[in-house]
This record gives sequence, C-alpha cells and structure tokens, in this order.
Amino acid sequence: MKIYYKATYTYKIFKMFLTELQSFVMTLGNIALFGTELVKGLRTFPTTYKAVMEQSSRFGVSSLPITLSIVGMTSVIIAMQIAGEMVKQGAGNYVGMLVAILMVREEGVIMAGFAIISMIGSSLASEIATMKVTEQVDAIRVLKVNPIHYLFTPRVIAGTLMMPLVVIVSSVFGVLSGAVASNLASGLTFKAYFDSVWFGLNMHDLQVCLLKSLTFGFVISLISCSCGMEAKDGAKGVGTATTKAVVWSFVAIVILDLIFAAMFFY
Amino acid sequence: MSIEVKNLIKSFDKKVVLDDISFKVDDGKILSIVGFSGSGKSTVLKLISGLIEKDGGEIITSGGDIAMVFQYSALFDSLNVFDNISFALQERKDLRGKYTKAELEKIVAEKLEMVGLSGIEDKFPSELSGGMQKRVSFARAIVTEPKIILYDEPTAGLDPISSTLIEDYIVRLKNETNAASIVVTHQMSTIQRTADSVLMLYNGKAVFEGTPEELMQQQTPYTKQFVTAAIDGPMKMV
Repeated sequence: MKIYYKATYTYKIFKMFLTELQSFVMTLGNIALFGTELVKGLRTFPTTYKAVMEQSSRFGVSSLPITLSIVGMTSVIIAMQIAGEMVKQGAGNYVGMLVAILMVREEGVIMAGFAIISMIGSSLASEIATMKVTEQVDAIRVLKVNPIHYLFTPRVIAGTLMMPLVVIVSSVFGVLSGAVASNLASGLTFKAYFDSVWFGLNMHDLQVCLLKSLTFGFVISLISCSCGMEAKDGAKGVGTATTKAVVWSFVAIVILDLIFAAMFFY
Repeated sequence: MSIEVKNLIKSFDKKVVLDDISFKVDDGKILSIVGFSGSGKSTVLKLISGLIEKDGGEIITSGGDIAMVFQYSALFDSLNVFDNISFALQERKDLRGKYTKAELEKIVAEKLEMVGLSGIEDKFPSELSGGMQKRVSFARAIVTEPKIILYDEPTAGLDPISSTLIEDYIVRLKNETNAASIVVTHQMSTIQRTADSVLMLYNGKAVFEGTPEELMQQQTPYTKQFVTAAIDGPMKMV
C-alpha cells in the first residue's frame, strides 16, 4: 500500500528556497568556470582585433550618451542640493572638492556601471542567449571552435578596456556639470569651484577609480556573457537570462564597490 | 567502417532516452534514423558530434572531422554567408591564419557552387529563404571536408520541392565527399530518396533495422504503424 503525504506550505517554501539556492550556486559556478576558461584562453589571444574593436565601439560609443546623461544629471542634482547651503555656511570653497570626490570615487563609476549594465550587459546576455537557444552555440562547438573563446573574449576584453574610458569621460563631464549647477544655484565662481576640485582630488582617488572601473568592466561583461550562455527553453529562456544578467551585475558591482571602499578608503 | 556505435546509453533526469543502441555506417553510405518525436533520434547525433556526453557504450569513428547540419540551420545571424561558410577556417585554432583571403573566397565559392547557390556570399541569413539557409548550412558543414556528416531533420519545415532539392543535395554530398552520413528524419520521402539503411527508434530502443525497401514492406508491427502513420499500434504517442 502506498502512503501519500500532502505537501505542507513549509515544505513547499523550503523546496522553493532550495531550488533558488541551487540555481544561485550553479550560476556562480558557471561564471567561475567560464571565467577560468576565458582567462586560460587569453594566452593565445583567441580572437581578432576587429572583433575587439567592434565590441569596444558598442561598449564605448553606444553607451556614452546615456552614461553622460545619468552622471551629468546626478552631479547637477548633488551640486544644486549642496552648493547653496555650503555657500551660506561659508564653506563654498569645498563644493568643487565634494562633487569631484563623489564623482571620482563613487558616482562616476557606479552610474556608468548601471548604465552599461542596462544598455550593454543586457544586450550581451540576450545576444548570446539567443545564439544558445537557436543552436548557434552548438554549431560553433561542432565546428571545433571554443564558444567561450570566440564569444566571450572580444566582449570581455572590450568591456574591461572601455569601462575606464567611459568612467573618465563621464566623471569629467560630471565635475563640469557640477560647476555649472553650483554657479547657477549659488553664484559660486568657476575659479573657486575648480580650485577646490584640484585641492580635494589626489592621485590615489584616480588610481582607485581606474582599478574599480577595470574590475567593473570585466565583471559586468563576464556575468552578462555567462548568464547568456546558461539560457535554455526558447524565448522565455532568453528573457530569464537577460534579467539574471542585469540583476547579478547590479548586485556584483554594489558588493565590489563596498569591498573597494573598505579596502581603499576606510 | 566510419562510424560504429555500440550499446549506447543516455538518460536525462533518470529518464532513459537511449537504451543499448548499436549500429554501423560505412563510408559513402547514409543511415536514416527514424521514429516518432521524443524517441531519441536527435540525441544520437548530439552524442556522436560530442555536444553531450554518453552514459554508457562506445562511439567509434574512423577519424577526421564530424559535421552537423542542424534542424533550423543554426546559421550565425550576425555573419554574412561568406563568414558563415568560412567560419571554421577562420576561427578554428588549428586552421586560423592558414588560408589567405583569396583562398577562402575560392573555397567558399566552390562550396556554394556545390549547393547551387553561387554569388550570395554577401547576403545575411535573414535575407535567405528556409531552403537556401539549409543549403548554406550544408556548405558550412562540408567546408572542412568532414568524414562524417550528421543531418538533424534536414527537410523539416520545407515545402515539398525544397525538400526534394535538399534530399538531392544530401545524396550529392555523399557521392562527392564519400562521407558516412546519418540523417534523422520522419519524412518518408527523405528515407526513400536518401537512405541506404534505416534504424527505427521507439522509447530509446531500436525496434527496426534494415533497408528502406524492407521498411516499406511493413513486415513488423512497428514498420507497419510507421509507414501507414496509424494511431493504433505498438508505438504510443505521449
């Protein structure tokens, strides 16, 4: 005689939690595996400069307008909020410094990261996911080409190299936008603002900013490609892979940002 | 002997998809694997091409490249026809840099001529009909002169005339390359026009092995049900 048990809600919730945990560990494992395979393949540079340039144009040129808009507007908002108050309190000479430090240490790289995840990361994930569900990745394998080397290498190299450029341009734009906003909001002169910028910024900030943007570029492109490569089950799978790439990239760069802050500024 | 499969076993999530399958295909011969959907036909091709790992048994090939033509062509949609066909020659580790641009152009033109599509090198897959895409995928498959060619439902979704054309090209490629070929299909015309031998799978097991003529004679309940497309019979649709 068979005994049937009715699944309780506790059991169902526990099972759902286990499934999610399993999926989390599998994705993490896949990212690590793909990343290792990618780095191992870099010795032989298994791509072409043309492919890297194509992806670089996608990362740099395509993402720049939206990144500049986001960073510029964030900077304007910050400057508008603080400039008036600080000038009133006699601390006008520190406005430029504050905006510049915020831009270089945090806002520039984080906002550029968010913009690149939304625009480029999602597009990388959906592109590779579509190739996966339409058997194009299988076709690459059957033709004896390593899909990780062929698909990931140019995208991850481009992401890693272009992210610092995007961050530098957008941070400069953010500082300039802050100057205009401070001037309009509180009458702070450009000279006072930029004197304060030069006084406040140091080489350490710029070095950490560069290192952080290189890391973010690598991580965003690797996670996006990896999530795309995990896709299965047709159009739904492409959507799931894209969402996963965006969420994982967002969480990863926030965690990395925290680690950077603790390591270099604490 | 070009492909020999012995006691092949494969399961997915405890469900046995292939259970002790064995067959042989010689050079210059075509084996047609038939059966209802979900009978494990495409899994055989994926195992031979190395896309998935087997759970048991042996796959012995006589060396050389293995090419595969996918059910929906699987052309790289971001690359034009030239780059699709020359993909392996340009990107494969052992072949990269071996061919000049002029040599690649010559090879691609030859392969396109073989499939009757000369002069479409600059077109993208989205600009081609289903039949043309399939023929381009044939050209891509034979670019490295493989010893084994695997076709996964090559005539699926094509009109009868395009199907006939594709079947003719399968036979032509077999004659010109002398490759051992396996064609997974459930289309009777493809079996009759291309196959030298037929293997029928049902529930992961081989239920018939013989020639297309023997299949048509309907001497077993399985062949009778398949050929007459009867709902009643030993094979139950899930």
